[in-house]
Amino acid sequence: MKDLLRLRTSLTEEIEALLNEQIKMEARSSSIYLSMSSWCDRNGFDNSAKYLEKQSGEERGHMLKLFRFVNDMGGKAISPEITDIPQEFDSFKGVFELALQQEINVTASFNRIADRCFKAKDFMTFQFLQWFLNEQIEEEYVARRILELFEVIGEEGTGRWQIDKNIPGVSYGE
Amino acid sequence: MADNNYSQLIEVFSTEHGTVYQCNRNNNFVVEFAGNCSAFKTGNFLDFTRRVNAINLSEMAKNTSRHADIVILMLHYTERCFVLTMKDVIRLKELLCGAKAMIELNSIVNECLRQYAF
Ligand SMILES: [Fe+2]
Ligand SMILES: [Fe+2]
Repeated sequence: MKDLLRLRTSLTEEIEALLNEQIKMEARSSSIYLSMSSWCDRNGFDNSAKYLEKQSGEERGHMLKLFRFVNDMGGKAISPEITDIPQEFDSFKGVFELALQQEINVTASFNRIADRCFKAKDFMTFQFLQWFLNEQIEEEYVARRILELFEVIGEEGTGRWQIDKNIPGVSYGE
Repeated sequence: MADNNYSQLIEVFSTEHGTVYQCNRNNNFVVEFAGNCSAFKTGNFLDFTRRVNAINLSEMAKNTSRHADIVILMLHYTERCFVLTMKDVIRLKELLCGAKAMIELNSIVNECLRQYAF
């Protein structure tokens, strides 16, 4: 009997569902970075606001990369529904603590998907995920570096102004 | 699940209340249930199975209001509107889950045979 499942897509139902969840997670990240950007803007951290807005765009890029992959493989990419985005944050530092936590969650999620791909012997998707795993090295590094600024510079006096000024310069050189 | 020479329609799974066929000419699935036939493309068949499986039977049983006695499934990919009683839902779940298992099994068999294809 003809294998109609395989004719439709090389993705198993499980992997397709996992990728769609990841699409949602990236979209959510994008939305949260944008609300962080707005909070920073309202509180006078202009550089951070710009940095977070750019970050939001990158997350949307990640979402689209996954989205196209699912469709390209014959699957059905689902445009995600995102609700309950926090609009208020405890503090300037709190914003970046949350950013790091979010990146850690994303890394964990990609590791889980890679593990499932390996078990399902889906090496095409496994290969596709390498780009994201690599990207997470940079994402976590930058988020951690920014948090360190709070320790190195200190928040007293003009500290927060200094921190804000230094945030755009944080980058990952391999 | 042997191919039938006279027809492109292959029986995938059958119960007392319905049958699922695979059509090798149109590459789709035909669900015969409660005296009606509907054709589904692969992705839509999987979606349909998921939706039927998602129907909460215990919720239907618990809820005493009259509208809870039936479930209406209106799907954009088929003309047919499914109006299902609890009994129908149980029967349809059985049919679709059985068919899906056979379709997956067929996929596994094909995957295994592929290594001898060359
Ligand atoms: Fe991302
Ligand atoms: Fe990220």
